[in-house]
Amino acid sequence: MAQRVQDKKPKRNKTAQSWIDDNVAEQKVRYRAIVKEMEDLWPQRKKWYAEFLKVVQTRGFNMDGDILVKIPKKDVPKEPKRKHKVVF
Amino acid sequence: MARPHIEPYVELDSPFKKFDLNGFKGSHYKVLSMDTDTGACTLKVRFDGGFSRKPGMSYSDMEVFVLKGGIKVGKEVWGEGHYAFVPAGMHLGALKVPRGAEALVMYNDSEPSYVESNRNHQLSLTAGFSSFNSYNDAPWGPGNLVSPSVATGVGIKVLHFDPLTQAISFLYYMSPEFQQNNISYHDCAEESYHIWGDSWMMQFGELPTGGYFWRPPWIDHGAFKCKLGCIAFGRTDSKLHNYFHYNPWATPDENKLRAAAHLYRQRPQLYDWTAGHGHNHPHGPPDFQYPDYQDDAQVRQLHGNTPNSTKPAAKKKATRKKAGASKR
Repeated sequence: MAQRVQDKKPKRNKTAQSWIDDNVAEQKVRYRAIVKEMEDLWPQRKKWYAEFLKVVQTRGFNMDGDILVKIPKKDVPKEPKRKHKVVF
Repeated sequence: MARPHIEPYVELDSPFKKFDLNGFKGSHYKVLSMDTDTGACTLKVRFDGGFSRKPGMSYSDMEVFVLKGGIKVGKEVWGEGHYAFVPAGMHLGALKVPRGAEALVMYNDSEPSYVESNRNHQLSLTAGFSSFNSYNDAPWGPGNLVSPSVATGVGIKVLHFDPLTQAISFLYYMSPEFQQNNISYHDCAEESYHIWGDSWMMQFGELPTGGYFWRPPWIDHGAFKCKLGCIAFGRTDSKLHNYFHYNPWATPDENKLRAAAHLYRQRPQLYDWTAGHGHNHPHGPPDFQYPDYQDDAQVRQLHGNTPNSTKPAAKKKATRKKAGASKR
């Protein structure tokens, strides 16, 4: 097995571990705030989805680059009953 | 656990924090995203006027993109738009920041580290080093770098290309009134920082100047619009492939299956060989062209195999002690 510089890194010291722990904790808070913000956007997003599904039937769906394909009404997806989310 | 899905995050309203790690004292930072295990991270760093540091190296591959101001690095001056890829173990000259600067600083393998040194580590893969002004010294190309491609109105400058993983770092723009009516996902992670301007995605809304995302694989984004134009810095962690569709309610699991179905239809021999005959190569099959590729830090990271040294010393000691105790 070939060695890399990364394999020679000294063990992480307490200062560095504490720096990571603090920033990971803040990142968790930030993540939760993003999830909430994106959930609150749902009424607006629902309108955007409806508009998008209209556009792919009229103007067309960008299949590759500028190639537009109009999607027949029968192929337009319908909203499923399961919970929908955009942040994972 | 790698980095969580951070999208959208507009950092401009968040305060900078004092950067108290060795080699960074006197600068300030914001975390844009961080790997919760390895500490690999993307930071926005503010170097106040008068910041200086002696020559030194890091134990992680590092990328830098200068957003504002200028940084003297040895004999070079890294001004606005300067991009550098610095392989782990390669020493950089002394840093001096006479009038202040802001930069995106990315540590790809582990937390930020600095060791004072005026020579390269003997294992450093220094051939990978690159340093140039991306605004002045790299041409814009069309957005159709990969196929299926984005619509006309996107331009790309490739700043870094990893030959093993085909990960890329790049600048991109969207022209005013750009629109692309599809939903996209990738089988790689994708990251972006809006240097200037706004763009819009159907799931997340407007992403303004200072807007950022780290998006793990398989997550839908788009349709896309851009009213007045924007320029952004982006990266992927492996080869970029656009999977386009028009189902706004598709889940990441459905997207994975669909990507595998693509492989089944479009690369049938490869699909059959890897999936159909039970080939079991947990560390990757042999590659006669790159026989040591499994040892590459980026490749290991992609498969969740990080160098042992990224684990904290205290935990390892505790584990050893526990193991010893159970032996007794």
